[in-house]
Amino acid sequence: MQSQHDHDHAHDANAAHRAAPMVDEISDFEVLEIAVRELAIEKGLFTADEHRRFTEWAESIGPAAGSRLVAKAWTDPAFKARLLADAVAACREIGLDWAEPTGTGTPSDYMEFRVLEDTPNLHHVIVCTLCSCYPRPVLGHSPYWYRSPNYRRRLVRWPRQVLAEFGLQLPPEVEIRVEDSNQKHRFMVLPMRPPGTEGWTEEQLAEIVTRDCMIGVALPRPDRKADDPRPVQPARRPVESTSANRAAG
Amino acid sequence: MANRETGNVLARFNVGDRVRVKDLPNLFYSRTQMYVRGVSGVIASRTYQSLVPEDEAWNRDEAQPQQFYIVRFRQKDLWEEYPFDNDTLQTELPEGWLEPATD
Repeated sequence: MQSQHDHDHAHDANAAHRAAPMVDEISDFEVLEIAVRELAIEKGLFTADEHRRFTEWAESIGPAAGSRLVAKAWTDPAFKARLLADAVAACREIGLDWAEPTGTGTPSDYMEFRVLEDTPNLHHVIVCTLCSCYPRPVLGHSPYWYRSPNYRRRLVRWPRQVLAEFGLQLPPEVEIRVEDSNQKHRFMVLPMRPPGTEGWTEEQLAEIVTRDCMIGVALPRPDRKADDPRPVQPARRPVESTSANRAAG
Repeated sequence: MANRETGNVLARFNVGDRVRVKDLPNLFYSRTQMYVRGVSGVIASRTYQSLVPEDEAWNRDEAQPQQFYIVRFRQKDLWEEYPFDNDTLQTELPEGWLEPATD
């Protein structure tokens, strides 16, 4: 303890020392968003509480709707045909309306949605090379890596290498089709139903259709559910924090 | 957004047509990626009619909407020395960026 004390003392003597800022970077767009939001609240276009409620809703959307679409398509050939023919209309059958919340969709998710069907000879994978277009009404918000320049620029150029980095290696005979969603269409992949799922219910099937399967960087497996425990390594030197320690400290 | 309703322009291309992406200059904004410019592909589907991004970005609502298409390219045509014959890439393009392919 003595050496620790000496160290702190020397540290305090350094008059030039200043704490590092908690947030060292804020983008121009974040500044713009705050400025516009505060102006809109001041002008009475909406209240701070209404903004919070919308944010709470927007951050609650996830890939469950997409999983349901896939599971229903796997078990109901007539629904699958409707899903492939007019995906926006098929979404309404499971209670999902692309027109929400404005009547014409969210400001950046247009009412154009297509489902891309994988076959034994064809595998789809989606990307938006321009930025981050993603079928948010069915899959929720895109994962961080989907929006990264690394994924966006490399998937179109080296799709097989990028898929291999996700652990997905496909034989050369299988056509890999990259769908760059850089206009108003949004896309989702309908993967093939894996063997070993015969007789499963729609609910059981939906559990193995994870987000990544619908982006196209993974394939569904009967032994892998979205909420399965992940492989974890225990910490090698965990902090020992017991009530006895705290009392003694 | 609601341009489906206003879209009544005559579509020039049909599914299966071979088209080439024009290599036009960029004026402020475009969604036509550099990597497809000058490359030929096939019309995979005719989609919607809409203002082009070059007009929509500036709220030029009076501009003429265009037909959009999903175009399928062979990866070998997009990238020199791409090693897999079967692989493809699709992206969506407005008609004004497309011309009949001559190759």
